[in-house]
Amino acid sequence: MKPLRLVAAFMKASFQEEAAYRSNFFISITTSVLNLGTGVLGIVVLFGQIQSLQGWDLPSTLTLLGVYLTVSALRSLFISPSLEALSGMDGEIWSGAFDFTIMRPVDVQFMVSLRKWRWFASFDLLLGLGVLLIAVIQLGITISPAQVIAFVLALFSGVVILYAILLIFAGLIFWSPGVLFTWIFDGLFQMARYPLSMYPGWLRLVLTWIVPVGVITTIPAQAITGALSMQNLALSLGLALVLVVLASAFFRHGLKRYASASS
Amino acid sequence: MTQPIIQLQNLTKTYRVPVRPEGLAASVKSLLRPQYTQVTAVQDISFSITPGEIVGLIGPNGAGKTTTLKMLSGLLHPSSGTASVAGHIPWQRHPTYLRSISMVMGNKSQMLWDIPPMDSFRVLAEIYAVPPAEFQRTLDELIDLLEMQDLLTKPVRNLSLGERMKCELVASLLHRPAVLFLDEPTLGLDVSMQLRLRRFLAEYNRRSHVSIILTSHYMADVLALCPRVILIHHGKLLYDGALDGLAHRLSPFKMLRLTLRTETTALPPFPPGVEITETAPSALTLRVPRLDTPAITAHLLQTLPVADLTVEDPPIEAVIDQVYSEGAA
Repeated sequence: MKPLRLVAAFMKASFQEEAAYRSNFFISITTSVLNLGTGVLGIVVLFGQIQSLQGWDLPSTLTLLGVYLTVSALRSLFISPSLEALSGMDGEIWSGAFDFTIMRPVDVQFMVSLRKWRWFASFDLLLGLGVLLIAVIQLGITISPAQVIAFVLALFSGVVILYAILLIFAGLIFWSPGVLFTWIFDGLFQMARYPLSMYPGWLRLVLTWIVPVGVITTIPAQAITGALSMQNLALSLGLALVLVVLASAFFRHGLKRYASASS
Repeated sequence: MTQPIIQLQNLTKTYRVPVRPEGLAASVKSLLRPQYTQVTAVQDISFSITPGEIVGLIGPNGAGKTTTLKMLSGLLHPSSGTASVAGHIPWQRHPTYLRSISMVMGNKSQMLWDIPPMDSFRVLAEIYAVPPAEFQRTLDELIDLLEMQDLLTKPVRNLSLGERMKCELVASLLHRPAVLFLDEPTLGLDVSMQLRLRRFLAEYNRRSHVSIILTSHYMADVLALCPRVILIHHGKLLYDGALDGLAHRLSPFKMLRLTLRTETTALPPFPPGVEITETAPSALTLRVPRLDTPAITAHLLQTLPVADLTVEDPPIEAVIDQVYSEGAA
């Protein structure tokens, strides 16, 4: 399979690029541990005061945090590094190296989405899955194979939704080069580490329907705790499909604009 | 006659550029209601190139050279006109088309910065789906021609500009394109590196029969590589033909070189329009209007003790400079 071979080549080259800067490895691990520490500490402090929050207790909120960390890790493993290579002052659009990217006989969206891998993030992935495991043990429930399948599907659709949103933000670069639009998103995505039901109604609507970051983490967490209905799983998968189609169309539109407007 | 591999017909590109007057108030105004103006970068350009040809695309900065190359390589849509390269319409960017072209830009790099060139080459081989055996064969040939065995294992960021340009060339030729666009490949390189790259390009063209369009501001590149040049200025095609015909067509002057029998200190007055460009004790170089050359030559033969007289076209650099600064006659 050619696409798979190509992704493997990208993975390998990214690893070599990363290995060239050894000190980044230690900085990256420190950041990961700090990230985990503050996340867990916040929840533990919160549930030191109260037993449950809008139907979410400590173990299920910890499950949510585990999902959040896992999704974030997948994001920083390849989605963010790949898409961010376009924007910013050293980005391809600004430097003009994007000319080479669109001259390759490979689909541009494919290239732009899977080109750079930040292998240090695999450590975050382990931490995220670790938190998830501990949370599930804390929950003290047995998990059926159906729940595992539901969780994997929900996690997949969550990652796809996240990718679609980030692709739209990345596509904005064709209208205004030089701005890291993904930064706007980061603030919103931070909110996905807590249950959606914790937020006031209007914010909940925004986080569900406008920038559906809530769906990204809440649905997989509910799948594991057994609180997810089939309809919601189907809705989440449907949303993922719709968003990825829209994002792709938007990105291609931007690309066309780039080809007719840039000098 | 061979079928052309590159064919352009009335290719035109107009950009919409924002106009921003100076001053803070104007800045705010342009934020709310941006104003645009149309700039024609390339206007009605037509030419065709046969397989294996090396053509120099020359013109001053901002003449439209890069815009033309970008349209031919599929990076830009033209505003009007047609082009066909290797049997495709470039800006449709068909994968088959993209596999048959390549571009080297003197001011942009396609290498991965932090790892040795060899690793970038491997990624490119995957992108272009070059079979391993063919990849190795092509790579060996290019490395041999460019004498760069020792560069393959150093990170690209540690290479000199010239060494990096060698890598850029290998990177662009790994998939054996039929058409190669070179946008100022010798930019910033020292004289001996320029010379080596020119020798490489000539040799590679001879072996592979790749068609090359080269833009350069170094006339030496063009003189050494391009039997044919296309001169564009203000987006318009001014000249398309042999390099030595350029002076004939575009310069309204001839150079007269005189060797005198005796040293003359006092020169007689020359007819109007004649300009002395060089004087030595017994030699003179004059720039004379092309049409008046016979009359002036006759006049000089009568008034000066001439031992030898040659009539030449002005040096190519001088012609180019004149066209760039004044426009064609």
